[in-house]
Formats: sequence, C-alpha cells, structure tokens
Amino acid sequence: MNASADMSFFGLISGASLPVQLVMLILLITSLFSWWYIFIKVATIKQAEQGAEEFENTFWSGGDLNKLYESVTAGRRKPQGMASIFEAGFKEYVRHKQQGRADVSDIMEGARRAMRAAFNRELDELDAHLPFLASVGSVSPYIGLFGTVWGIMNAFMGLSNVAQATLSQVAPGIAEALVATAIGLFAAIPAVIAYNRFASSVDRLSVRYESFMEEFTNILQRKS
Amino acid sequence: MQYPRENSVSFKAGVLSVGVHVTLLAMLLISFNWKTTHPVNVTNVELWDALPAIETPKPLPTPEPVEEPQPVVKEPVVEQEVKPEPIPQAEIVIKKLPEKPVKEKPTDTKRSDALAALQKELMQDEMKKPDKPVSSDALKKLQQEALSEDKAAGDQQNFAAKAAANAGAIGEFTNKIKAKIRGNVNKTLCGDGNPELKFEIGLLPTGELSAHPKLLKSSGNPACDDAVERAIITSEPLPLPTDPALFAQFRNLKLTFKPNDS
Repeated sequence: MNASADMSFFGLISGASLPVQLVMLILLITSLFSWWYIFIKVATIKQAEQGAEEFENTFWSGGDLNKLYESVTAGRRKPQGMASIFEAGFKEYVRHKQQGRADVSDIMEGARRAMRAAFNRELDELDAHLPFLASVGSVSPYIGLFGTVWGIMNAFMGLSNVAQATLSQVAPGIAEALVATAIGLFAAIPAVIAYNRFASSVDRLSVRYESFMEEFTNILQRKS
Repeated sequence: MQYPRENSVSFKAGVLSVGVHVTLLAMLLISFNWKTTHPVNVTNVELWDALPAIETPKPLPTPEPVEEPQPVVKEPVVEQEVKPEPIPQAEIVIKKLPEKPVKEKPTDTKRSDALAALQKELMQDEMKKPDKPVSSDALKKLQQEALSEDKAAGDQQNFAAKAAANAGAIGEFTNKIKAKIRGNVNKTLCGDGNPELKFEIGLLPTGELSAHPKLLKSSGNPACDDAVERAIITSEPLPLPTDPALFAQFRNLKLTFKPNDS
C-alpha cells in the first residue's frame, strides 16, 4: 500500500481483490455481449427498414397482386418483414376463394387473422435482444457500484491496522475500486442509448406494418 | 437466444464488438497518461563564464616551500652544500605551476572578449556593458598577478576572500532551500519528538530536481520520511544563486532536516 505503487490501468486491475476482479470480468462479458447485440440489431433493423421500403414501392406501383404474390414466394428464402405479412394475408384470401365461400366478412376475418399472426412473428424478431440491452443498461452500474463498495471497504479495513492514517494508504485501494464503476458505466451507457434508439425504430416499423395491414385489408375487401 | 435471420450478421457483429472494446482500451491507454513521470535523463550543459575557483587555489601550497629554506639560512654554514639542492627544485615547482594557466588563459580572454563584444552589439544593454569588460579586466589582472610571484600573497588574500564569500552564499542558499522545504512539510506526520533526517537531492540549474530525492538517514518514521520527501518535490523550483560558479556546489546537495525544530 504505497502511493508510488503501480498505478497503470492494468496495475489497478491486477491489484484489485478477487470479488472486485470478478465484478470486472462479469461487466466485461456483459459489455461484449451488449455490443454484439447492438451490432446485430443495427444490421437487422436496417434490413427490415430497407425491405419495407422496397416492398411498399413495388406494392403501390400498381401491379397485379397475383404476380406480386408469385414474385414474393418465388425466392428460396422465406419472405421477411412486410412481404411476409402480405404473403400470409393473400395466401389465406386465395384459399378461402378457392373453397368457394361466399361470405365476404368470413374471408376478410381469415385474411386479417393470418396477417396478424405474421405481424406478431415479425415484431417478435424485431424485439429480440432489446430486453437484454435494457437490463444491461439498468443493472451494470449497480454491479460496478457493488465492486467499488467492496473495494473501498477493503481499503478502509486495511487502514484500521495503521496507527497514523494517511491518504496514500487508502488512495490506491479506492482507485482500484473505482475502476469497477467505470467499467460498469462503460457497459451501461451504450446499452441504454442503443435500447432507446432500437425501441423507437421498432415502434415505427410496427406502425408501418399495421397501417399496411389495414390498407391491404381494404384492397382485398374491394376485390372480393 | 439466436434467430435464424441474424445468423448472417452475427459473426460480423461479434468481430465488431470485440473491435470496439479493443479500440476503446487502446484509446484509453494512449490518450491517458495514468502516471505522470518527470523525464529524469536530462543532459544538463553548463556554460562557464569564468574559470571555477577550484583550480586557482593551486598556488597556495607552492609558496610554502619558499618559506622552508628561510629557516635553513639561520643554521650553520656546514649544511649549505646539501641545501642548495631543494631550493632550485622549489623554484622549478613554482615556475612551472603558474606557467600552465598562462598558456590556457589568453585564449579564454579572447573568447570572453569576443563574447562581450558580440553581446554589446546584439543586446545593447546598458546593464551588461559595464559588467563584461570589468570581468575580463579582472581576469587579466588575475592572470598578471598569477604571473608575478611577488603578488602571490595578494592572490591568496583574494582567493580567501572569494572562498569566504562563496561559503557565505552557499550557506545562505542552503538555508533558503531548507526554509522553502520546511514550509511544505506536514509536521503533524512527524510526531512529537525531534526526528532528524538526511536527504540527498540532485538539482538542475533551473532549480528543479534532477532525480528523485534520496533518503540517506531515516527518522525512523516512514510517514515522516514520506512527508519530507513530498515537501521536497512540491517545493520545486528551489531557490538557487544566479552565479553559475556557485551552482557546482548545489548539484548534489545533502540536506539535514529537523521538521519539528522551528
């Protein structure tokens, strides 16, 4: 416990007590995971927005709905985003037509339910990992604080054995302990920012999907 | 929890996340200097305006052999055959010693004259104009005095006076340094007794420390030692005499402290 001890960043980490080091390790892992999910979400939300944009363009360009359905289902991959909602609704509508049911309200109800199910699946994918980011943002400062409190407790306990208390006897311990809070904040801040951003993007996408559902229902009703 | 749609981006995202942490850590380590270190290995060059006083005292021992033969004269003539031998030897010693500085000094005076002339032209400082010629004149006089053996006694007086003045200045500035450091010592850390500690400090001509102060004699109380050490570091720059000739005495200074001695 000397002021001239190693005060470099790695020196502070290696000099900390075991619980504090554990806290730092947990925080590092959560930070890595939260950044991993942040990058995944950035990519998938961008994909979904681009897909919605492209599909709306082709849908409102006024082509034949049967042709559009064929082009959507033709690809090897399952349709995603707005296209999957359209595919589910139109498939249900065509099936009802083929079975020869005359009641328009029944057909519309079936198509609506199919679209609602597809919409929920899409929303579930869009919402994925957001709860994790929310928990990291709210909990990791507390984990870091726990490490800091533990480290400061140790520093003061060491001080109790000394007759003459000087600042240089507690300062290294407190500095080591504060690194834990710094890492906790480092993990929490990006997670909170990303959570808020992604939540608003997902909200806007879901509004877009829902309005498309309503409009498509109207078009189907006019057709039948 | 993994979704099939994310498989394509998950690896890229993982690499990016590790990259973010590595770059942030690198930025932290590069931009932050976690421990401020003073550059210790500074090459210090000293410019000497005048010859140091240490070389000149050499004439001091030489007159003594001159005095030795004098009592010899009082003694009986019988021993005269033996005595002439040491006398010329002593004379040779006397002649040789002053000659050496004679050869070296003219070049120095030329240089100092040239320097003085340059400084006159460049700076045109009224303050410095009288100083330089006086010093060079004084040097010439000193050399002339050194040349003539008769004036050796006068030289001695000069040197003695100089040495006394130097000692006075050194004592004055060591006291100033001690007073400045003592003002910064946290005396409560040194207890009630009268501890005494000894530090060796290296000084630069600017008054800053050239190295970490070295503890030569501890007071027995590490907190007190630390307090004095911190006080030495905080009292930078230390007061130093403006005369560069005196600085040689301060380059490695051994100081004794009694923190509780008011």
